[in-house]
Amino acid sequence: MQKLEQLYEGKAKKIYRTDEADLYWVEYKDDATAFNGEKKGSIVGKGELNNRISSIFFTMLAEHGIKNHFIKLLSPTEQLVKKVRILPLEVVVRNIAAGSLAKRIGFAEGTVLSKTVVEFYYKDDSLGDPLVNPSHIEMLQLATKEQLQFLEQTSLEINQILTEYLKSRKVILVDFKLEYGVTDDGELILADEISPDTCRFWDADTMEKLDKDRFRRDLGNVEDAYKEILHRLTGEGAQAAQSSYKATVFVTLKPGVLDPAGNAAKSALTTLGFTEVTDVRVGKYMEVSLNAATIKLAEKRLQEMCEKLLSNPVIENYRYEIEEV
Amino acid sequence: MNFGVVVFPGSNCDLDCYKAIERLNEPVDYIFHTSTDLARYDCIILPGGFSYGDYLRSGAIARFAPVMQEVMKAAEEGKLILGICNGFQILLESGLLPGAMLRNRGLKFLCQYEELIVNNNQTPFTTSYQEGESIRIPIAHGEGNYYCDEETLAALERNKQIVFRYRNNPNGSVSDIAGIINERGNVLGMMPHPERAVDSLLGSEDGLRLFISILNNWREEHGTR
Repeated sequence: MQKLEQLYEGKAKKIYRTDEADLYWVEYKDDATAFNGEKKGSIVGKGELNNRISSIFFTMLAEHGIKNHFIKLLSPTEQLVKKVRILPLEVVVRNIAAGSLAKRIGFAEGTVLSKTVVEFYYKDDSLGDPLVNPSHIEMLQLATKEQLQFLEQTSLEINQILTEYLKSRKVILVDFKLEYGVTDDGELILADEISPDTCRFWDADTMEKLDKDRFRRDLGNVEDAYKEILHRLTGEGAQAAQSSYKATVFVTLKPGVLDPAGNAAKSALTTLGFTEVTDVRVGKYMEVSLNAATIKLAEKRLQEMCEKLLSNPVIENYRYEIEEV
Repeated sequence: MNFGVVVFPGSNCDLDCYKAIERLNEPVDYIFHTSTDLARYDCIILPGGFSYGDYLRSGAIARFAPVMQEVMKAAEEGKLILGICNGFQILLESGLLPGAMLRNRGLKFLCQYEELIVNNNQTPFTTSYQEGESIRIPIAHGEGNYYCDEETLAALERNKQIVFRYRNNPNGSVSDIAGIINERGNVLGMMPHPERAVDSLLGSEDGLRLFISILNNWREEHGTR
């Protein structure tokens, strides 16, 4: 894999072409800007921290079935991604009032929103990335109706996954921004980055800010906050931060497959006078306890277990119930 | 010709298979379930028994034993694989043969001689039999009720993959199936125990001819040593 010429330099990243037509080489920078470029600075080590944090989030989301551009880390500050054409839309998901939303609707920062809010911003530096609604988006042809629906649905799903994942790491996901892009094959996938630059993270116990707000508002210890987020994702205790789940798995013979044991039970019941019984199917009941970062991930693993070992798809069906313990 | 008999925890027909091969005066080894090198074997036998206690489903756990990766490879290389009883169940679970096993229709463990019809004598395992010949080989199983969907059954029929049928179906198996072979013709699974019918003292010698077929066909292909 060879890094070729630079295609683009943004506020926080540089993008390079590679000798593979469908892959880009991304370099994360230490530069920081805020308020649409009005405030400029640099956070020591930010490029490396965000590169790693973003790779962890993207890998985890991929495990949850959220397709994204991340392929692999290339160096502490660089990663390989799938080439996409970024849609000129930023999707912002908000769980708690903060930043521009708090200002716009007059909510005190920290107010928990009764319903998760999804916002779209038109990516245009000269206009200051204005808020746009679906009607604007349609008129400006920034995305098709189907794409817009996909963006909203996927972003809400990502919100659920991230919120649960971070909760076990004692981090509150206040809000975050996502960007999406279209691959050469025409598929719309998650792209850009997910890091303290693009999310508001609050410590669940102290409500301390662990994100770029520390830079925006000159709260100090910016680098430490980014480091703390990485530590919560990878450090000791990150594994222990997994939740425990208990699943009950029911395996039954497929309809139409002869069930000799069920038939025998049915005749015995009939003999006992339970003549109303029309059918008995005997199945298996299993309890599986497992650890996972999120319930969705636990379910995914459980399905694999059922398909690979716990049931035989030739003759059996399975279903399961799962809950956190 | 080198024979290997796989030994899983809970196999109990391994010795019988070993003895059956000894009658051919050919070298035979036990292969432990943890083995990862089967390169020297020309024919691998998965014997009957209750591997891993038949927990979950017969053969379901044995199918993930380390040796099974190698058995799959050997099958791919075209080597002869013979699964008998529990060995047949393992072959089904591993997907080397299509279908699955259900409990016997009568729920009883059946241990008795059965009359089989040789439905295909054009396999490396059956050339010593006549097509349509009736042979006597004992069964000993609680889950030998072979099941597959109609589409799979049609394919089995079409490709002449049904090698043995019961004359008087004892367990409820689909289409009286007692043994099937893969499409390529090198992996045979059967519920009856040919290794228990290799001496008239045991009541039948009909099983011995299966092993003789294996040897004769191998010699024909590789030249007599």
